[in-house]
This record gives sequence, structure tokens and C-alpha cells, in this order.
Amino acid sequence: MNTVVSAANLSKSIGAKSILRDISMEVTSGHVVGILGKNGAGKTTLLEVLLGFSPPTSGSSSVFGNDSLRLPVHSKQRIGFVPQRDELINEITGAQQLSLIGSLSHRWNGALIERLVASWEIPLNTRIKDLSGGERQKLSTILALGHEPQLLVLDEPASSLDPIARRLFLREILDIAADEARTVLFSTHIVSDLERVANRVVIVREGHIAWAGELDTLKETVVRLHVDARHALPAAFGLDHVIRQQVAGARASIVASHWHPNLKEELEQRLDAQISVEQMGLEDIFVELHS
Amino acid sequence: MTKPNDNPTVRVFVLQPTSGVPIYRQLIDQVRRMVLSGQLPPGTEMPSVRDVAEEYTVNPTTISKAYSLLELEGLLQRNRGKPMTVAALRRRHGAVTNRLKELEPQIDSLVLAAHQLDLQASDLIDLIERKMQEDP
Repeated sequence: MNTVVSAANLSKSIGAKSILRDISMEVTSGHVVGILGKNGAGKTTLLEVLLGFSPPTSGSSSVFGNDSLRLPVHSKQRIGFVPQRDELINEITGAQQLSLIGSLSHRWNGALIERLVASWEIPLNTRIKDLSGGERQKLSTILALGHEPQLLVLDEPASSLDPIARRLFLREILDIAADEARTVLFSTHIVSDLERVANRVVIVREGHIAWAGELDTLKETVVRLHVDARHALPAAFGLDHVIRQQVAGARASIVASHWHPNLKEELEQRLDAQISVEQMGLEDIFVELHS
Repeated sequence: MTKPNDNPTVRVFVLQPTSGVPIYRQLIDQVRRMVLSGQLPPGTEMPSVRDVAEEYTVNPTTISKAYSLLELEGLLQRNRGKPMTVAALRRRHGAVTNRLKELEPQIDSLVLAAHQLDLQASDLIDLIERKMQEDP
């Protein structure tokens, strides 16, 4: 597995406002990485800094081993980027926009474009200013796929798509994911999309990384414990990594990270209690990590 | 790309991406149950990782993780250039205690909910018996 994107201690401030704080991360090839965060958490800025569109205040980042701020052309050609706000030209048609971008690209898969235009139902002969938000988003995504990038970066993709279009879009991402040489990095606040297609997740909270790793691991190690004890419980349990706890007499509900099934029996004995372990979906985990 | 998956086994699973149980874990549990119960007999061809990922629109890595762990467990067999198959079992059906162990997580949460609802074991057993008679 090759490192495709890497960041070391990235921080970014605009004036007195800190947007990103000490972000270090690595994206290896063949993965689909979802960056999850509330609105305003710094997801867009993070993508922009990683791709070198905007310089960090401190720290550094690289793409394909080259400093993001000095990416050689051959590296840029291997990247596809779909910005949150599209950069389509309003006065021309979709067909014209496609042939414009196609003619500027060093490689262009016309057959792929044709297939996507048909299956995503994009009206090509309408002027772009007359397209709906969803149609614009689809066109903008296709434009980033035409040169078959090794690294596809999408900022809030599919946010204006209906459920059918969104499913078609996710299938295309998975098709790319099936190729181990290609990598997808996307930001979103739509948890259910991320749960389907990402195998790794980076949770960004107030400009820094709250959790990063495999989605499966996140679901296995962040759990809600329901404790039912024989006697009133102490206020402190001696359990590490508690995110939130509520104790009421002999009952308690605890959200903890770093959980391992082996911990259950020891804790049950120590507290003289029955514990049931509830595994949480990503949405719940996301909410708890923000509590 | 969407194409019809010709192996019907691809459709027997129920994978829920929003569940707290990771997708690979859901698949392992289901394959294990189906193999132990004989629903997936030895020699059954498994759908490819890519077909399962496509059918359920989920990341292929989690499916391939499930297949690898099932192979380690001896339930699935990897065949050169051919689909994986359900391995020949030492015993076709696991012993009842083994099969019951598969249900322990569900039983644990059932028991907890029963306690909270102040139900007796006998109430539960009656209901389970009735439900099991309803469903084949």
C-alpha cells in the first residue's frame, strides 16, 4: 500500500480564527476515506490545504510524495477534484463543457463519460444555468472522473442528489474502490453514505481530528454499556476512555471508546453487575463524540 | 458498473450499513449460521467479493475481510481461479451447544429487555415456541 496523501501537523488560521489545528493523517492507496464533521468543522479547508489550493499556517502535506504546494503537473493530472460549489460555465451546454474539459485533459475516457451521462440522466443540450442543482452536481462529478484519476477527492458529494441518483453515484465510487491502485477521499456530513462506501473514517471536530481509523474498528470499539448492578453504583467506575456516563442508583449507561469484549467480564465482576453491550451506528457515535 | 449477479447466493444476506455491527461481522455471523444449519451446504459457490459489494452497495474491503476470516475459521475454502466455496465440514451440523453459542448475543439483549419489562422466563419461552412454529 502506497501513501497517497499525507499531512504532518497541519494548522491553518485565518486572521485570529483557527480553522485547522495540528492535523496529521495518512491516506493509502486502495482505500475510500470519509472525512466526517459538522458544518463548519473545517472539512473543506482541510481538503483545500491537502491539495495545495491554500497554504497551511504551519505543518506540511503531500500528495503522491510531492509537497502539496509544489505539485508537479504529472501529479496534478492524477487527481480528480469535485468542489462543493461547482465551477461549471453557466452560458454553455453540458456537452460543450464536457468537450472543453476533455480537450484540456491529457487522457479522457469518452466511453465512461457516455455511460455515466446516460445512466445519471444528465441533459447535455441544456445550458448549464438551466440545470437543477442535482444535475449540476452530477455533471461536475463526471467532469472529475473522465481522466480516470488515481486520487479522487470530493467535497460534500451527492448532497443535492435524490436517493436514486445518490445510489448510482455510490456504485461508481465503489467501482473505483474495487481498483486497489485508486483512492477516494471525500468529506461529508451524510453519515449513511459514508457508512456504505468508506472503509476508513476521519472525524473532524472543531478543526482537529477526533478519531481516525477503520470504520469497522470505530464501530467495534465505541460502545454503549448498560450496567445493571445489585447495589448502588459508585460515581467513578475506573473505566478508561469514558465519553459520557449517566449513573442512577444501581443502573448506569456509559459510552466508552477503546472497548474490547474481554473487558466485559472483569467489569461485571468488579461492579457486581450485569452489563449489556450496545453497538452503535455511526450516526450515534458521531453524536456522542460531539457531546 | 451494474450487471446482474448470476449467483443467487448473493441475495440471501441481509446487510445493514447503518447498524452498529460492522458489515463484515454481519456477513460472518450470517454465513456461519447458514453453514452450521446446512442452508449453505459444503461445496456451495460463494458470490465474489465484488458481486456482494455491488449488490448491497457497500465497500468491498469489509466483504473481503469477512471472507478471509471465514476462511481462517475453516468455513470457506479459497479455490485457485474459481469462486470460494463452503468447505466440507468435519461434522455437517455443529453440535447444538455450538449452534446455540451463535445466538448468545441476541439472547443477551433479549434477556436484558425482558428484565426491564419485568417478564418471566416462562413468558419468553412460550413466545419463542409460538414464533418458531409460525416460521419455517
